[in-house]
Amino acid sequence: MTLLVQLLKLEITIFLVALAGTVAIQLLTGQIKTTGLLQGTISGRPRDNNQYVSPERIQLLIFTLGAGLHYLSLVLTNPNPGTFPPVPQNWPAIVGGSNVIYLAGKAYSRWLGGAGSKNSKESSE
Amino acid sequence: MLTLQGLTIFSGYIIAVLIALLGFVVIWRILDGTIDLSQVISEPNGGASMSRFQFLVFTFVIALSLFLVIIGNSKGIQFPEKIPAEILTLLGISGTSYLVSKGIQFSDPTGIADRGTDIIISPMKANVPPGQTKQFTAEVPGKPGSGVKWEVIAGPGTISADGLYTAPPAAAVTPGSPPATAAPHLHATVQVTSDEFPNSYDVAVVTIV
Repeated sequence: MTLLVQLLKLEITIFLVALAGTVAIQLLTGQIKTTGLLQGTISGRPRDNNQYVSPERIQLLIFTLGAGLHYLSLVLTNPNPGTFPPVPQNWPAIVGGSNVIYLAGKAYSRWLGGAGSKNSKESSE
Repeated sequence: MLTLQGLTIFSGYIIAVLIALLGFVVIWRILDGTIDLSQVISEPNGGASMSRFQFLVFTFVIALSLFLVIIGNSKGIQFPEKIPAEILTLLGISGTSYLVSKGIQFSDPTGIADRGTDIIISPMKANVPPGQTKQFTAEVPGKPGSGVKWEVIAGPGTISADGLYTAPPAAAVTPGSPPATAAPHLHATVQVTSDEFPNSYDVAVVTIV
Protein backbone atom coordinates (compact mmCIF):
# COMPACT_ATOMS: atom_id res chain seq x y z
CA MET A 1 0.00 0.00 0.00
CA THR A 2 2.90 2.34 0.78
CA LEU A 3 4.26 1.85 -2.71
CA LEU A 4 0.84 2.68 -4.18
CA VAL A 5 0.64 5.88 -2.13
CA GLN A 6 4.14 6.90 -3.21
CA LEU A 7 3.23 6.18 -6.83
CA LEU A 8 0.12 8.37 -6.66
CA LYS A 9 2.04 11.19 -4.97
CA LEU A 10 4.70 11.03 -7.64
CA GLU A 11 2.40 11.02 -10.64
CA ILE A 12 0.19 13.84 -9.32
CA THR A 13 3.27 15.89 -8.48
CA ILE A 14 4.63 15.33 -11.99
CA PHE A 15 1.28 16.25 -13.54
CA LEU A 16 0.82 19.48 -11.56
CA VAL A 17 4.40 20.59 -12.09
CA ALA A 18 4.25 19.70 -15.81
CA LEU A 19 0.96 21.57 -16.23
CA ALA A 20 2.15 24.66 -14.35
CA GLY A 21 5.45 24.57 -16.22
CA THR A 22 3.76 24.22 -19.60
CA VAL A 23 1.45 27.15 -18.89
CA ALA A 24 4.34 29.26 -17.60
CA ILE A 25 6.50 28.50 -20.66
CA GLN A 26 3.63 29.20 -23.05
CA LEU A 27 2.96 32.51 -21.28
CA LEU A 28 6.61 33.51 -21.56
CA THR A 29 7.00 32.44 -25.19
CA GLY A 30 3.77 34.08 -26.31
CA GLN A 31 1.99 30.87 -27.25
CA ILE A 32 -0.62 31.92 -24.70
CA LYS A 33 -1.66 35.34 -25.96
CA THR A 34 -0.91 38.16 -23.54
CA THR A 35 -1.58 40.99 -25.97
CA GLY A 36 -3.18 43.86 -24.12
CA LEU A 37 -2.70 42.37 -20.65
CA LEU A 38 -1.21 45.59 -19.33
CA GLN A 39 -3.06 47.97 -21.64
CA GLY A 40 -6.30 49.75 -20.91
CA THR A 41 -8.80 50.99 -23.47
CA ILE A 42 -10.29 54.46 -23.53
CA SER A 43 -13.76 54.54 -25.02
CA GLY A 44 -14.68 57.23 -27.48
CA ARG A 45 -11.26 57.56 -29.08
CA PRO A 46 -10.17 56.32 -32.53
CA ARG A 47 -9.01 52.71 -32.50
CA ASP A 48 -5.39 53.68 -33.23
CA ASN A 49 -5.28 56.02 -30.25
CA ASN A 50 -7.38 54.36 -27.56
CA GLN A 51 -4.77 52.18 -25.80
CA TYR A 52 -2.64 53.21 -22.82
CA VAL A 53 -0.19 51.46 -20.52
CA SER A 54 -2.31 50.88 -17.48
CA PRO A 55 -0.75 51.45 -14.02
CA GLU A 56 -3.80 49.85 -12.39
CA ARG A 57 -3.21 46.63 -14.32
CA ILE A 58 0.51 46.64 -13.48
CA GLN A 59 -0.15 46.98 -9.74
CA LEU A 60 -2.76 44.20 -9.90
CA LEU A 61 -0.26 41.96 -11.70
CA ILE A 62 2.36 42.63 -9.03
CA PHE A 63 -0.02 42.03 -6.11
CA THR A 64 -1.46 38.88 -7.74
CA LEU A 65 1.94 37.30 -8.38
CA GLY A 66 3.26 38.47 -5.00
CA ALA A 67 0.30 37.09 -3.07
CA GLY A 68 0.35 33.78 -4.96
CA LEU A 69 4.08 33.14 -4.61
CA HIS A 70 4.12 34.24 -0.97
CA TYR A 71 1.30 31.90 -0.05
CA LEU A 72 3.02 29.02 -1.83
CA SER A 73 6.15 29.75 0.21
CA LEU A 74 4.02 29.73 3.39
CA VAL A 75 2.67 26.30 2.44
CA LEU A 76 6.13 24.93 1.68
CA THR A 77 7.54 26.19 5.00
CA ASN A 78 4.45 25.39 7.05
CA PRO A 79 5.48 24.06 10.49
CA ASN A 80 2.20 22.11 10.64
CA PRO A 81 2.10 20.10 7.41
CA GLY A 82 -1.34 18.74 6.68
CA THR A 83 -3.03 22.06 7.40
CA PHE A 84 -3.36 25.25 5.43
CA PRO A 85 -1.09 27.93 6.89
CA PRO A 86 -3.05 30.93 8.17
CA VAL A 87 -3.40 33.76 5.67
CA PRO A 88 -2.27 37.12 7.06
CA GLN A 89 -5.43 38.97 8.01
CA ASN A 90 -4.57 42.09 6.04
CA TRP A 91 -4.26 40.16 2.75
CA PRO A 92 -7.93 40.31 1.79
CA ALA A 93 -7.83 44.07 2.30
CA ILE A 94 -4.64 44.43 0.25
CA VAL A 95 -5.74 42.19 -2.62
CA GLY A 96 -9.26 43.61 -2.49
CA GLY A 97 -7.88 47.16 -2.57
CA SER A 98 -5.70 46.27 -5.54
CA ASN A 99 -8.73 44.91 -7.39
CA VAL A 100 -10.76 48.02 -6.54
CA ILE A 101 -8.01 50.24 -7.98
CA TYR A 102 -7.99 48.11 -11.14
CA LEU A 103 -11.76 48.29 -11.50
CA ALA A 104 -11.86 52.03 -10.79
CA GLY A 105 -9.24 52.65 -13.48
CA LYS A 106 -11.11 50.48 -15.94
CA ALA A 107 -14.43 52.19 -15.19
CA TYR A 108 -12.86 55.63 -15.54
CA SER A 109 -11.30 54.84 -18.93
CA ARG A 110 -14.50 53.23 -20.17
CA TRP A 111 -17.02 55.74 -18.93
CA LEU A 112 -15.16 59.02 -18.43
CA GLY A 113 -11.89 58.74 -20.37
CA GLY A 114 -13.49 59.41 -23.73
CA ALA A 115 -15.41 62.39 -22.37
CA GLY A 116 -12.21 63.80 -20.93
CA SER A 117 -10.33 63.49 -24.19
CA LYS A 118 -13.23 65.13 -26.04
CA ASN A 119 -13.25 68.06 -23.65
CA SER A 120 -9.51 68.54 -23.91
CA LYS A 121 -9.75 68.44 -27.69
CA GLU A 122 -12.50 71.03 -27.70
CA SER A 123 -10.58 73.30 -25.36
CA SER A 124 -7.46 73.07 -27.51
CA GLU A 125 -9.43 74.02 -30.59
CA MET B 1 -7.31 -16.97 -3.41
CA LEU B 2 -7.71 -13.20 -3.84
CA THR B 3 -8.37 -11.49 -0.51
CA LEU B 4 -10.33 -8.27 -0.03
CA GLN B 5 -7.12 -6.39 0.77
CA GLY B 6 -5.44 -7.78 -2.32
CA LEU B 7 -8.41 -6.71 -4.43
CA THR B 8 -8.26 -3.22 -2.91
CA ILE B 9 -4.57 -2.85 -3.69
CA PHE B 10 -5.08 -4.21 -7.21
CA SER B 11 -7.89 -1.69 -7.80
CA GLY B 12 -5.66 1.04 -6.43
CA TYR B 13 -2.96 0.24 -8.97
CA ILE B 14 -5.52 0.22 -11.78
CA ILE B 15 -6.73 3.67 -10.70
CA ALA B 16 -3.14 4.91 -10.42
CA VAL B 17 -2.44 3.75 -13.97
CA LEU B 18 -5.61 5.41 -15.27
CA ILE B 19 -4.75 8.69 -13.52
CA ALA B 20 -1.24 8.57 -14.94
CA LEU B 21 -2.60 7.92 -18.44
CA LEU B 22 -5.10 10.77 -18.12
CA GLY B 23 -2.42 13.19 -16.93
CA PHE B 24 -0.05 12.08 -19.69
CA VAL B 25 -2.70 12.51 -22.39
CA VAL B 26 -3.64 15.99 -21.14
CA ILE B 27 -0.02 17.20 -21.12
CA TRP B 28 0.69 15.51 -24.46
CA ARG B 29 -2.39 17.08 -26.08
CA ILE B 30 -1.36 20.51 -24.78
CA LEU B 31 2.13 20.11 -26.18
CA ASP B 32 0.97 18.93 -29.60
CA GLY B 33 -1.59 21.74 -29.79
CA THR B 34 -4.75 19.63 -29.74
CA ILE B 35 -5.66 21.31 -26.45
CA ASP B 36 -5.17 24.95 -27.41
CA LEU B 37 -4.27 27.17 -24.46
CA SER B 38 -3.48 30.23 -26.57
CA GLN B 39 -6.72 31.96 -25.52
CA VAL B 40 -6.77 30.78 -21.91
CA ILE B 41 -6.54 34.31 -20.51
CA SER B 42 -8.05 36.07 -23.54
CA GLU B 43 -11.47 37.49 -24.12
CA PRO B 44 -13.42 36.54 -27.26
CA ASN B 45 -12.15 39.75 -28.87
CA GLY B 46 -8.53 38.60 -28.50
CA GLY B 47 -7.36 40.91 -25.72
CA ALA B 48 -5.76 39.30 -22.67
CA SER B 49 -7.73 39.75 -19.47
CA MET B 50 -6.05 40.71 -16.19
CA SER B 51 -8.96 39.16 -14.27
CA ARG B 52 -8.57 35.85 -16.08
CA PHE B 53 -4.83 35.93 -15.39
CA GLN B 54 -5.54 36.45 -11.70
CA PHE B 55 -7.92 33.49 -11.76
CA LEU B 56 -5.22 31.37 -13.42
CA VAL B 57 -2.59 32.26 -10.82
CA PHE B 58 -4.91 31.74 -7.85
CA THR B 59 -6.15 28.42 -9.25
CA PHE B 60 -2.63 27.04 -9.55
CA VAL B 61 -1.66 28.33 -6.10
CA ILE B 62 -4.71 26.78 -4.45
CA ALA B 63 -4.34 23.49 -6.36
CA LEU B 64 -0.66 23.10 -5.50
CA SER B 65 -1.27 24.16 -1.88
CA LEU B 66 -4.14 21.72 -1.46
CA PHE B 67 -2.08 18.89 -2.90
CA LEU B 68 0.87 19.68 -0.61
CA VAL B 69 -1.44 19.90 2.41
CA ILE B 70 -3.14 16.58 1.59
CA ILE B 71 0.07 14.61 1.15
CA GLY B 72 1.77 16.35 4.06
CA ASN B 73 -0.71 15.20 6.69
CA SER B 74 1.06 13.22 9.41
CA LYS B 75 -2.02 11.00 9.88
CA GLY B 76 -1.85 9.83 6.29
CA ILE B 77 -3.30 11.16 3.07
CA GLN B 78 -6.48 13.10 3.87
CA PHE B 79 -8.18 16.40 3.26
CA PRO B 80 -7.48 19.21 5.73
CA GLU B 81 -10.04 19.62 8.48
CA LYS B 82 -10.27 23.36 7.98
CA ILE B 83 -9.83 25.77 5.08
CA PRO B 84 -9.00 29.32 6.25
CA ALA B 85 -11.79 31.77 5.55
CA GLU B 86 -9.24 34.22 4.14
CA ILE B 87 -8.50 31.85 1.25
CA LEU B 88 -12.15 31.70 0.33
CA THR B 89 -12.36 35.47 0.72
CA LEU B 90 -9.46 35.94 -1.71
CA LEU B 91 -11.10 33.67 -4.25
CA GLY B 92 -14.36 35.57 -3.76
CA ILE B 93 -12.61 38.88 -4.34
CA SER B 94 -11.02 37.54 -7.51
CA GLY B 95 -14.32 36.19 -8.83
CA THR B 96 -16.25 39.33 -7.99
CA SER B 97 -13.58 41.50 -9.57
CA TYR B 98 -13.82 39.44 -12.76
CA LEU B 99 -17.59 39.82 -12.94
CA VAL B 100 -17.52 43.56 -12.29
CA SER B 101 -14.71 43.96 -14.80
CA LYS B 102 -16.71 42.24 -17.52
CA GLY B 103 -19.76 44.29 -16.58
CA ILE B 104 -17.78 47.48 -17.10
CA GLN B 105 -16.30 46.24 -20.38
CA PHE B 106 -19.58 45.12 -21.90
CA SER B 107 -21.46 48.21 -20.74
CA ASP B 108 -19.93 49.85 -23.81
CA PRO B 109 -20.94 48.27 -27.16
CA THR B 110 -17.40 48.71 -28.48
CA GLY B 111 -16.05 46.77 -25.52
CA ILE B 112 -16.51 43.49 -27.33
CA ALA B 113 -14.42 44.51 -30.30
CA ASP B 114 -11.79 46.94 -29.19
CA ARG B 115 -8.63 44.87 -29.44
CA GLY B 116 -9.00 42.99 -32.70
CA THR B 117 -5.88 43.28 -34.82
CA ASP B 118 -6.22 40.39 -37.30
CA ILE B 119 -9.25 42.03 -38.91
CA ILE B 120 -10.55 45.57 -38.44
CA ILE B 121 -14.01 46.77 -39.42
CA SER B 122 -14.80 50.34 -40.31
CA PRO B 123 -16.78 52.20 -39.14
CA MET B 124 -17.29 50.61 -35.72
CA LYS B 125 -20.54 52.50 -35.12
CA ALA B 126 -23.07 53.80 -37.61
CA ASN B 127 -26.49 55.46 -37.56
CA VAL B 128 -28.69 54.28 -40.42
CA PRO B 129 -32.23 55.51 -41.15
CA PRO B 130 -34.85 52.80 -41.84
CA GLY B 131 -34.65 51.54 -45.40
CA GLN B 132 -31.26 53.15 -46.00
CA THR B 133 -27.87 51.53 -46.51
CA LYS B 134 -24.40 51.86 -45.03
CA GLN B 135 -21.17 50.62 -46.58
CA PHE B 136 -18.79 48.81 -44.20
CA THR B 137 -15.22 47.94 -45.02
CA ALA B 138 -12.79 45.46 -43.46
CA GLU B 139 -9.01 45.52 -43.33
CA VAL B 140 -6.91 42.41 -42.77
CA PRO B 141 -3.45 43.79 -41.89
CA GLY B 142 -1.79 40.37 -41.88
CA LYS B 143 -3.09 39.47 -45.37
CA PRO B 144 -4.25 42.55 -47.30
CA GLY B 145 -6.79 41.77 -49.98
CA SER B 146 -7.85 38.43 -48.52
CA GLY B 147 -11.50 37.43 -48.45
CA VAL B 148 -13.95 38.23 -45.69
CA LYS B 149 -17.44 37.08 -44.76
CA TRP B 150 -20.14 39.55 -43.68
CA GLU B 151 -23.02 38.68 -41.35
CA VAL B 152 -25.70 40.43 -39.30
CA ILE B 153 -25.42 38.42 -36.07
CA ALA B 154 -27.99 40.33 -34.04
CA GLY B 155 -30.82 42.73 -34.73
CA PRO B 156 -32.64 43.63 -37.95
CA GLY B 157 -31.31 44.29 -41.42
CA THR B 158 -29.27 42.47 -44.02
CA ILE B 159 -25.76 42.79 -45.34
CA SER B 160 -24.40 41.92 -48.75
CA ALA B 161 -21.28 39.93 -49.51
CA ASP B 162 -19.35 43.18 -50.08
CA GLY B 163 -20.35 44.76 -46.75
CA LEU B 164 -23.35 46.92 -47.74
CA TYR B 165 -25.74 46.96 -44.77
CA THR B 166 -29.42 47.62 -45.48
CA ALA B 167 -31.69 48.66 -42.63
CA PRO B 168 -35.26 47.36 -42.71
CA PRO B 169 -38.00 49.79 -43.83
CA ALA B 170 -39.75 51.84 -41.17
CA ALA B 171 -42.86 49.63 -41.26
CA ALA B 172 -40.74 46.58 -40.49
CA VAL B 173 -38.90 48.36 -37.71
CA THR B 174 -42.04 49.37 -35.81
CA PRO B 175 -44.85 47.02 -36.87
CA GLY B 176 -48.23 48.20 -35.62
CA SER B 177 -46.75 50.86 -33.41
CA PRO B 178 -46.77 54.66 -33.35
CA PRO B 179 -44.67 56.59 -35.89
CA ALA B 180 -41.02 55.64 -36.16
CA THR B 181 -39.94 58.93 -34.64
CA ALA B 182 -41.57 57.89 -31.37
CA ALA B 183 -40.12 54.40 -31.36
CA PRO B 184 -36.93 53.59 -29.45
CA HIS B 185 -33.81 53.10 -31.52
CA LEU B 186 -33.04 49.57 -32.66
CA HIS B 187 -29.56 48.15 -32.82
CA ALA B 188 -27.96 45.58 -35.06
CA THR B 189 -24.55 43.97 -34.85
CA VAL B 190 -22.56 43.40 -38.01
CA GLN B 191 -19.74 40.87 -37.90
CA VAL B 192 -16.95 40.36 -40.40
CA THR B 193 -14.82 37.22 -40.37
CA SER B 194 -11.52 36.75 -42.15
CA ASP B 195 -11.12 33.82 -44.54
CA GLU B 196 -7.40 33.88 -43.76
CA PHE B 197 -7.83 33.91 -39.97
CA PRO B 198 -11.10 32.03 -39.33
CA ASN B 199 -10.90 32.56 -35.57
CA SER B 200 -10.60 36.32 -35.92
CA TYR B 201 -13.53 38.65 -36.34
CA ASP B 202 -14.57 42.21 -35.74
CA VAL B 203 -17.97 43.72 -35.15
CA ALA B 204 -19.74 47.04 -35.63
CA VAL B 205 -22.88 48.33 -33.98
CA VAL B 206 -25.61 49.82 -36.16
CA THR B 207 -28.22 52.09 -34.65
CA ILE B 208 -31.38 52.42 -36.73
CA VAL B 209 -32.57 55.98 -36.20
